[in-house]
Amino acid sequence: MQFSPSAEQTELVEKARAFTKEYIGPNSMKYDRSGEFPREICREAFKQGFMNPHIPAAYGGSPHTVLDHCMVLEEMATGCSGIATAIDANGLSQYPVILAGSDDQKRRFLAPMTEELMFSAYAVTEPEAGSDVSRVKTSATKMGNDYVLNGIKWWITNGSVASWYFVLARVDDKPTAFVVPADSPGIIRGPKEINLGQHASNTVRVTFEDVKVEERNRLGDEGDGFQIAMKTFDHTRPGVAAGANGITKAALNIALSYAKRRRTFDKKLISNQGISFKLAEIMTGLDAARYLTYRAAWLFDQGEDNAREAAEAKWFAADVAMKAAIECSQVLGGYGFTTEMPAEKLIRDAKIYQIYEGATEIQKMIIVGKLMRMKEVH
Amino acid sequence: MFADLRRITAKIAERFKRRFYGRTFNCPVCHFELAVVDAGSNRLLVCPVCGVVIDIEEVYGHAVPVVLEVELYRPQPKARIHPLATHVPIGLYPFAVLGAVLLAAGSLARPFLPAVEPLLARAPMIADATLVLLVLSVGLSILTFASGLWDWNRRYRRRSYRQIRLKIAFSILFLVLGGLAIALHASGAAFSPASGLIDLGSPASIVLAIVELALLSAGMAVIATLGHVGGTLVFGK
Repeated sequence: MQFSPSAEQTELVEKARAFTKEYIGPNSMKYDRSGEFPREICREAFKQGFMNPHIPAAYGGSPHTVLDHCMVLEEMATGCSGIATAIDANGLSQYPVILAGSDDQKRRFLAPMTEELMFSAYAVTEPEAGSDVSRVKTSATKMGNDYVLNGIKWWITNGSVASWYFVLARVDDKPTAFVVPADSPGIIRGPKEINLGQHASNTVRVTFEDVKVEERNRLGDEGDGFQIAMKTFDHTRPGVAAGANGITKAALNIALSYAKRRRTFDKKLISNQGISFKLAEIMTGLDAARYLTYRAAWLFDQGEDNAREAAEAKWFAADVAMKAAIECSQVLGGYGFTTEMPAEKLIRDAKIYQIYEGATEIQKMIIVGKLMRMKEVH
Repeated sequence: MFADLRRITAKIAERFKRRFYGRTFNCPVCHFELAVVDAGSNRLLVCPVCGVVIDIEEVYGHAVPVVLEVELYRPQPKARIHPLATHVPIGLYPFAVLGAVLLAAGSLARPFLPAVEPLLARAPMIADATLVLLVLSVGLSILTFASGLWDWNRRYRRRSYRQIRLKIAFSILFLVLGGLAIALHASGAAFSPASGLIDLGSPASIVLAIVELALLSAGMAVIATLGHVGGTLVFGK
C-alpha cells in the first residue's frame, strides 16, 4: 500500500496550486459577484493543460489518470469551486464519447477540443427527472437517417457556452445517447440560472424543438443511453468528491489563518479549545474524504468497478465540505457572515456537492445496492 | 451603444486599476478597496477610511484580513483646505474644456452654417474666458496638491496607499497637461486671438487645436479620476 504521491504527481499538484493562487483564488469573489463566465481563466487553464484531461492521446489529448485529475481538481476548487467547475465540466460530457463513441465521433467531437478552447455540456437532467434519470422525457423520433429531438433539459452546466451537447433522449421508449452540435437549428439556450452558489459556473435551460440529429451522432445503439449516462458517473464522481475536498481545504486554510492571528480575551483565537477542536475536526474530515476519493479514483484507473467507492467518496466529501464551510464561518464569527470575507461563499458553494451528480441519498442507495449483493463485508 | 461604451470604459479602467493596485481586498469593516502591496513587511495596514488596523494574509489566493485594532485618534486638518480647494479646479475645468469645444465646433460649423456667424462674434470672449478658467483651475490645483500632501502627512501619517500614490501621480500629470494647454491657448497658435477660432486655412493651426483639445480631454479624464479616488478616500466604497 503506497500513500505518498509520485514525483510526477507532486509536480502536477504544485503546478495546479500555483495556477490556483495566481488565477483562481484572487478572482473568486469577482466572478461570484458578477456571475460572469470565467472564460479568460479557462483560456489560461487550457494553455497550461488543465482542461480536457480525459481525452486520449490518440485524439490529441494529454490524458491524466483519474487520480491525478482528482488531485488537480482539489487544488483548483480550493481557489473557487465555481471556476473549477467551469474548467472541468467538459469532462462530464466528454466521457460518454470516450466510453461509447466510435473513432469517427471521437475525431469529430474530442479532437477539436484539444486544439482550441471549446466547451461541451452533459444534457441529461430534465425539470421532472433529476436523480431519477430513467424518467427523462425528451423524445428522439427516427425520420429517415436522422432523429428529431424534442424536450427540455435543465440545469445544464456550460449550457450557454457549449459547442456540443451529450443528450439523453427516448427512441420508442428506449433511452438513447446522442451528441448534438450546439448550432443545430431548434436549440434554444435559456438565461443563466441564478443559483445559491457556484456563480461562476454557467447553468442554463436548453430546449430542443424539432432538432435534427444525424444517425452518425448517436452514441452506441438505441437503448444504450442509460448505461452510458450512468457509467460516466463512475468516472466523474471521484472528481466531484475532489471538488468538495477543495472547499474543505479552503475552509480549513481560511479558518486556520484567521484563528492564528485574531486575538480574543488576550490570547490568540486558536488558543481557545472550542475553536481549535473545530480545526482538528475539519482536518480529520478532509483526510478521510481524501482517502475515500483517491481510492475511488485509483480503482477506476485500475479498471476495477468503483461504483460503491465513488458513491462513498462523493457523499462523504460533500458532507464534510458543507460542515467545514459552516464551521469556518463560525470560527470567523461576525466576519464569517459578511460578504467581504470568503467564508460565506464556501457555504453557498458547498451545498451543491450534496445535490449534483447524484444527491447524497442516491449515493447511499448505490452503496446499499452493492451491500445487498454481499454475503459479508471484509 | 451607450451601454457598450460604458462596458468598454469600465473594462479599461479595471485593467488600469489592476495594474496600478495589484491584488486588492476589501476592508471587512468599511468595504474600502485596499491593495495587498500596501501592507508593510509586518503585513499590517491601517484602513485610511475607517481606521481599523488589519493584518492581511493570502491563502490560496483568498485574502483573509484580520482586524486587530482600531486607530481611534486620527487628526483632522483644522482648516480643511484640501477638501475645499479640490472642488474649485474640478468645478472650473469642465467649463474651460466646454469653451474650447464650443470654439472648435464653431470653427468647423462656420463654412457650412452661415446662420452661426452672429454667434461667432462672441468667440474672442469665449476664448478669453476659456483661458481665465484654465489658469484658475490649474493654478488653484497647485494649492490643492500642496494641501493634499499636507493632509497625507498629518492624517494618514505618510503611510503608503495606492490611492494616494495615484493621486500624487495624477496631480502632477494634471499640472503638466494643464500647463501645456494654457501655454498653447495663450500663444494663440491654436485658436486665433483675433477671431477666437481655428484658422482652417492653416494646417499648423488645425494640428495645434487638435493637440490642445487632446490635452484638455486627457486633463478632464485625469481630474475626474482624481475626484473619484479622493471621494472614495473620504466616503469609502
